[in-house]
Amino acid sequence: MSEIVLEGTGLTRQYGGFRALDDVSIMVRRGEIRGLIGPNGAGKSTLIDVLSGRGAFSRGTVKLEGRDISGLNARQRRLAGLARSFQRTNIFGDLTVGEQVHLAARAAEAENAGEVMEALALAPLADRRAADVSYGDQRRLDLALALVGRPRVLLLDEPAAGLTMQESLTLAALLRDLAQRWQVTVLIVEHDMDVIFAICSSLTVLHLGRILVEGPPEQVRVMPEVVTAYLGSSVA
Amino acid sequence: MKMRVLLPLLFAAAGALLPGLVGSTLLMTLLTQAVINAMLATGVGFMVRQNGMVSFGHAGFFGLAAYIVALCTTNHVVTAEFAVLLAVALPMLLAFLLGLAILRIAGVAFSMLTLAVAQSFYELMLRWRELANGDDGMAAELPPRLFGAGIAVFQTPESMFLVCWAALMVVLAGLWLLSRSHFGTLTIAIRENEERARFIGYETLLPRALVYALSAGIAALAGVMFALYNAFVTPDVLYWSLSGEALVMAVIGGTKAIWGPALGAVIFFLFKDVAGDLTEHWPAIIGGTLIVVTVLLPRGASGSLLALVERLGVRR
Ligand SMILES: Nc1ncnc2c1ncn2[C@@H]1O[C@H](COP(=O)(O)OP(=O)(O)OP(=O)(O)O)[C@@H](O)[C@H]1O
Ligand SMILES: [Mg+2]
Repeated sequence: MSEIVLEGTGLTRQYGGFRALDDVSIMVRRGEIRGLIGPNGAGKSTLIDVLSGRGAFSRGTVKLEGRDISGLNARQRRLAGLARSFQRTNIFGDLTVGEQVHLAARAAEAENAGEVMEALALAPLADRRAADVSYGDQRRLDLALALVGRPRVLLLDEPAAGLTMQESLTLAALLRDLAQRWQVTVLIVEHDMDVIFAICSSLTVLHLGRILVEGPPEQVRVMPEVVTAYLGSSVA
Repeated sequence: MKMRVLLPLLFAAAGALLPGLVGSTLLMTLLTQAVINAMLATGVGFMVRQNGMVSFGHAGFFGLAAYIVALCTTNHVVTAEFAVLLAVALPMLLAFLLGLAILRIAGVAFSMLTLAVAQSFYELMLRWRELANGDDGMAAELPPRLFGAGIAVFQTPESMFLVCWAALMVVLAGLWLLSRSHFGTLTIAIRENEERARFIGYETLLPRALVYALSAGIAALAGVMFALYNAFVTPDVLYWSLSGEALVMAVIGGTKAIWGPALGAVIFFLFKDVAGDLTEHWPAIIGGTLIVVTVLLPRGASGSLLALVERLGVRR
């Protein structure tokens, strides 16, 4: 078994009296593409936030390649090798596609902006204002901003949100190839089970801020508690 | 592509010919004041363009610079040249430190804080009569020569116009280069989406404070020119209405183009002169115009001009 690159222990985040994340521990191994699933409001985005250093106070520790990064802010975590994308498209509208991918590459002192844009089919859009390109292009741009600069761990929060079935599967295949080619470990939140089964080697299921089960996709899919959790909520 | 360099150069040269073409000293006086205000508006507009923040207190940096020139030269504490440097550097430093503290505050609250700081300078100069004669104002005792030129150069409308015009052109060119640099891209990114800028690995407060400092430095430069030209300062140079006017100029001209606020200042000044001749209620007319401009031309005069040029270019 390969080493653990990302480890969260006892992660807890509270909004007022409500525990969005309740004592969650997670370990991701090098080279893995880990799926993070669960019904709406399960705490998936909150877990990504806590791991990446976004937002308010939280409890627990986060380790990246054995190093405790709990005390680092979002910028420092990125520079340490932990990058993320966002569920709600989070780009720089008034910059061109090329400008912002280069900007992100420069922060991480990497020269792979061209390569990433090529791989994500953004190269032909390099001179277009980001606010003016299509939604699907913006989703890939959001991903490019996280992927550029050779992060070692990538946290993806529903990269295929709002895409068509076909677009989602294409993106999934691309992700799998890139993760392998650039040796990036991925933790991906995704609602689309086809995407999950196409690329994930293992799954973590969150429910009501806690981890319900973990395991290989084929096993997790048929576990009764997972079926109940999903049926008990209004998720499609 | 060449036009982008050629056109501004031609424009700068054309401006330099103005004193030779304009016969009236009165008009030259007006134009010189307009260019000084254009510098101030450029500072305010650069802040909006690069930081996305509206300062309502740039008269504070303008007036502070004017007072530093007047106080230092009159009391002979340092050479006049050094006083000029100090008058630009101190407001910049002040803005930088102030920025680190208040730039985290968003929107109107930020604008109100900048207003409060500038008004406190105004009150200080008004009340501390021993320092600078309060609202009577103080004359600046300038030396006979400054930076190798006779002081008359700075006080005759025709020659001072050239000095101010050249300074404005240099500042605009500098800002244009800066906007095309990494720093320019980074600050636009931060303006657009500060959170994502952090998540791709950038510290965001420092660049924003630097933009604030630079914009204050440009306002201070305008204040220096004002003090040299008039050799007299009153607390009015710190008053909120000047900050407001500078903002109005920037809005009229539009802030998307770096030269927009400067254009707005010239329009504002000429308009104010014409309207002032016709009626005493020119502030109301300015106000009315402002409403019309913001509604009809949301990108300001410069934005409309650029859109027009683009349309003509496409047709051809
Ligand atoms: N800033 C906040 N303030 C208060 N409550 C919040 C906040 N952010 C999230 N929550 C709540 O925390 C819970 C978990 O939210 P989270 O966004 O992590 O869910 P999720 O699993 O990502 O859901 P989705 O599938 O809809 O994206 C939800 O009940 C949500 O309403
Ligand atoms: Mg979510």
